Amino acid sequence: MHEVMNHTGWLAIVKRYSLTATLVGAAMMPLLGCKGGESDSPDKGGETTTGPEGETEVSNITGSIKINGSSTVLPISNAMKEEFAKEYPGVEISVSGDGTGTGFKEFYAKSTDISDASRPIKAGELEKCTEAGVEFIELPVAYDGLTVVIHPENDWATELTVDHLKKIFVNAEDKPTKWSDVDPSWPAEDIGLYAPGTGSGTYDYFKEVVIGKSEAEMRDDMSLNEDDNQLVKGVAGSKFAIGFFGVAYYEENKDKLTAVKVVNPADSVAYEPSSDNIASGKYAPFSRPLFIYVSTASLPRAEVAAFVQFYLDNAQEVSEAVAYVRLPDSIMERAQSHLDSELSGTHYVDADGNSRHGAVEDIYVKENL
Amino acid sequence: MRPTDKPKTEIPAALRSQDSAFLEKNTRRRKQLSRWFYVVCIMVALISVAILALLIASIVYQGQSRLSTDLLTRSHSELDIERSGMLPSILGSLAVCMVCAAAALPLGIGTAVFLEEFQPTSRFLRWWHGFIQINISNLAGVPSIVYGLLGLTVFVYMFNVFGKITVNEYSGWELMGATHSYQVLTLDPKIAVKIPTDSADVQRIRMTGPGYVLGPNNEWMQIEIWDPKSGDPRPRDPSKRRRTVKLGQAGSLQTEKAWYYFRLPFDKSFLAAGLTLALVILPIIIIASQEALRAVSPSLREASLGLGATRWQTVKNICLPAAIPGIMTGAILAMGRAIGEAAPILVVLGSLVAKSTGPKHLMDNAVTMPVLIYEWAGRPEPEFQELAAAAIIVLLVILLAFNSIAIYLRHRVQSDSNV
Repeated sequence: MHEVMNHTGWLAIVKRYSLTATLVGAAMMPLLGCKGGESDSPDKGGETTTGPEGETEVSNITGSIKINGSSTVLPISNAMKEEFAKEYPGVEISVSGDGTGTGFKEFYAKSTDISDASRPIKAGELEKCTEAGVEFIELPVAYDGLTVVIHPENDWATELTVDHLKKIFVNAEDKPTKWSDVDPSWPAEDIGLYAPGTGSGTYDYFKEVVIGKSEAEMRDDMSLNEDDNQLVKGVAGSKFAIGFFGVAYYEENKDKLTAVKVVNPADSVAYEPSSDNIASGKYAPFSRPLFIYVSTASLPRAEVAAFVQFYLDNAQEVSEAVAYVRLPDSIMERAQSHLDSELSGTHYVDADGNSRHGAVEDIYVKENL
Repeated sequence: MRPTDKPKTEIPAALRSQDSAFLEKNTRRRKQLSRWFYVVCIMVALISVAILALLIASIVYQGQSRLSTDLLTRSHSELDIERSGMLPSILGSLAVCMVCAAAALPLGIGTAVFLEEFQPTSRFLRWWHGFIQINISNLAGVPSIVYGLLGLTVFVYMFNVFGKITVNEYSGWELMGATHSYQVLTLDPKIAVKIPTDSADVQRIRMTGPGYVLGPNNEWMQIEIWDPKSGDPRPRDPSKRRRTVKLGQAGSLQTEKAWYYFRLPFDKSFLAAGLTLALVILPIIIIASQEALRAVSPSLREASLGLGATRWQTVKNICLPAAIPGIMTGAILAMGRAIGEAAPILVVLGSLVAKSTGPKHLMDNAVTMPVLIYEWAGRPEPEFQELAAAAIIVLLVILLAFNSIAIYLRHRVQSDSNV
């Protein structure tokens, strides 16, 4: 069939990690020529590329992509994988949702190409990445409104300020055990506290908002559960309970729970976590961006580049389809330009290793890299 | 007997007074008690059955609406939840359990034969024998998640003896079934060409000149180079774009994996998961096989030895055939546990659900039914919770089917050996 042919017009610069070596291709690779006119039997249906150029054309790119990270982002990544597979059937994508923290651990151990995250990377994780020589591009893909929920019969805590939540959820000497400890006009009943597990990005994000930079810790007498459905059951089952989780779980359980309107510190108005309020940033400070972190070492791979581009192109539609809130065009454009110019690094940790806080519009700018 | 001890000749009161009324009453009371005990026993037995029936009924109630062909023929879908299925997880579970059985059965039965039939006589070996016996009994009580962590170190990472597998850098010791090539994107963003290579040492090349490559249909073709800086316009003709590569375009190493692709370490593969499960069920198989061998009548064994058969001949021709039904019972129970284990698989393979196929090669990862059920049950959408219930029904049916086959086989073996 194929005869070995020495082809001297072939040169390849070979790049291994950061080392660049020039090798004469003929010496290093077996170069095979093909007798002209001979046509091999076409490949399996899906991989032929006979279709006209356009959206529906099926690609012949092969390869595998490994993704791990936040279980909150998991549905978006799963949906992307599903859609991507229709156009790129040769690419194997494995998506795990072991948690944001675990995702970053695997990311800086170079086990994954992309890390899903429901909070920005932490300074410690960034340090580990730098040590391991892992560079990444930070791309926001959707908004999630972290939702504080109460029992529908609870009529006193329908509007809360961040200070209230701080008082309720943060560990302190005088931490309230009864609602009346928070506000004397509230009932003198025990508060039931429900929160996601400490490994989740949701827990971390809530903690960051209510605690900020101080040394305080979250309360240790809450009911923690990795399974958000258990939190739904907990709060739905007790009139005096309060808890928090991602907006998707609230959307599915609207009949059993009430979402607390959170007072925006900027204009002192309480907003409910509706899609509009989350997208417009009015539901502050609990509307949070969800991210994917893409290793720049993986980006030259055709399959990874194609997938990340596909992710950005479809992030708005897909995130809405899986019950999150779409990011505004302005942010998506910025993400696209970051990807195009391969701007690596995080916007959320400054040069001194301190975390930046605030709305994604203000922080996700080139100057913060 | 000392003279002071008078022999007891006194008749018990019940016998002394031949009060027929008392006797009758006493008998009635005893019989009644016996009847009551009988009723209590039945109730206790019924309670456990009733709980099981209630459980199955509630699951069937929750899941029956999702029992459809989609469930058996499709994979997890995020955008089309209604039509999500569990085919990859069925295939994954079967693959994992096959590995598990292939590893655990020979090892388990072999160990049981050693412990029962080849009891050593020397002091040291006897101590060793006892040591193994005690440890196997202990291992049977170890929680399965601990085996998961063990499997992670031993099978997934292999103590990093063969290096740590990383994306873009190192893909382990590839022993079989790997075909390497560099994938280079053409000017058509959906079409790539391949340059085969023998060595997997270099992860990335850059295109600097024209040459022969493998095209989209696996045919050899010549490729041209377009230099954006040369001022030549970017080729517009689609067929030409597919034959043209940008100067300096990266080509990255691709591994095409045949089904027998074998690599060390195993990384997160169904092989590692199967071997981990084998560790979980090994003690159960050993203990059950030991019981079965112990139940073989010593007279059979002695008769065989007395006729001059060696120990191996005795084991092969007498003990094992007689013990096979018992061993198979143990194996059935153990495999039933293996197919339903979620914790060690979650540790070894991670919480992966959206895989669209069963494992394609030995080093491929897999979704298993218990993990899928666990993940689905934790999702907010009620559809997924119903799907989880439907998946439980499928898992139970598959489990029952396997058990029936195994019981049928055992029956046949049993009746054969009796003839």
